Amino acid sequence: MPAPPDNEVGRAAARPPTRLSFNLTAMIDVVFLLLIYFLVATDFKLGEEIYRLDLPRRSLRADPFELPRDPLRIAVASTGSGAGYLIRVEGAAAQPASFQELFEFLAQNQQSAAAVGGLFEPDHPIIIEPGPATRWEHAIEAFNAAVRARYSNVKFGGG
Amino acid sequence: MSVIFHRGPARIEANLTPLIDVTFLLIVFFVLVSQIVDLESVQMDLPKPAEPASELAGDEQRAVINIIPAGGGQIAGYRFAGRTFSPDASGIEALTSTLAALYQRSPTLRINLRADRKTHFQWIEPVFDAVVAATTRSGRDDVTAGMNLVVIREE
Repeated sequence: MPAPPDNEVGRAAARPPTRLSFNLTAMIDVVFLLLIYFLVATDFKLGEEIYRLDLPRRSLRADPFELPRDPLRIAVASTGSGAGYLIRVEGAAAQPASFQELFEFLAQNQQSAAAVGGLFEPDHPIIIEPGPATRWEHAIEAFNAAVRARYSNVKFGGG
Repeated sequence: MSVIFHRGPARIEANLTPLIDVTFLLIVFFVLVSQIVDLESVQMDLPKPAEPASELAGDEQRAVINIIPAGGGQIAGYRFAGRTFSPDASGIEALTSTLAALYQRSPTLRINLRADRKTHFQWIEPVFDAVVAATTRSGRDDVTAGMNLVVIREE
């Protein structure tokens, strides 16, 4: 192997050593500070969910061949200081005393493969009728009982 | 003479400019989003039904109506699209017009309704009426008067 020329040896020796200096510390500090700031400043909304409610449109014409079905009307009223409530199901022999009982009433009276003798089909119209002074939470609880019992045509009516 | 010798010493460079650009874009994005979220949600105590049959909101287009609570089941107004509407006939009329204008542009828009758990139904029913009236006033047949009732799921 031939020896390198003298001028090459001299140039390599004179070359300064390569210095790689990336000081990312300051930037990482800033990024982490911003991350902590946003974590602290963010107001997490825990578990917001929705009930779908499709309101009837006035302009749409009803199907002339569709037989009108008498809706099941459920009146809800807040009582006392507002924490209590009263439920009244139109036509029911025994009135439910709680929203759990309302759910059980609706579920037991629904027509299904298991219960053929049920009074209401799953798409039977159900109208929740809160009074003017009924708390929104009680109106929603009644709505929830009907949706939970797998009724698909639940609406709100004026109180 | 070799080719490598002619190239000279290797230079390693780290270009941090795109990284800083992206970081600042993310900061701007989060600042803007947090402001939008603040506009859409008013601080209130949403209903928490027992054993809820509620569902997570989908990806469909939606707007939020907040019913601003004022204590004792009363309200201070309706907040929608960055505006506050008074809880009287003129306020409801203005809310209906605003909704109708939105429905003209976005017929499949769904309205998220946020109301305090103690708010009386007499203040919520006018919102339903306003939504139905707005669908008619929009003049479009393909408008769906869809609403989402917002609650809190408490496990």
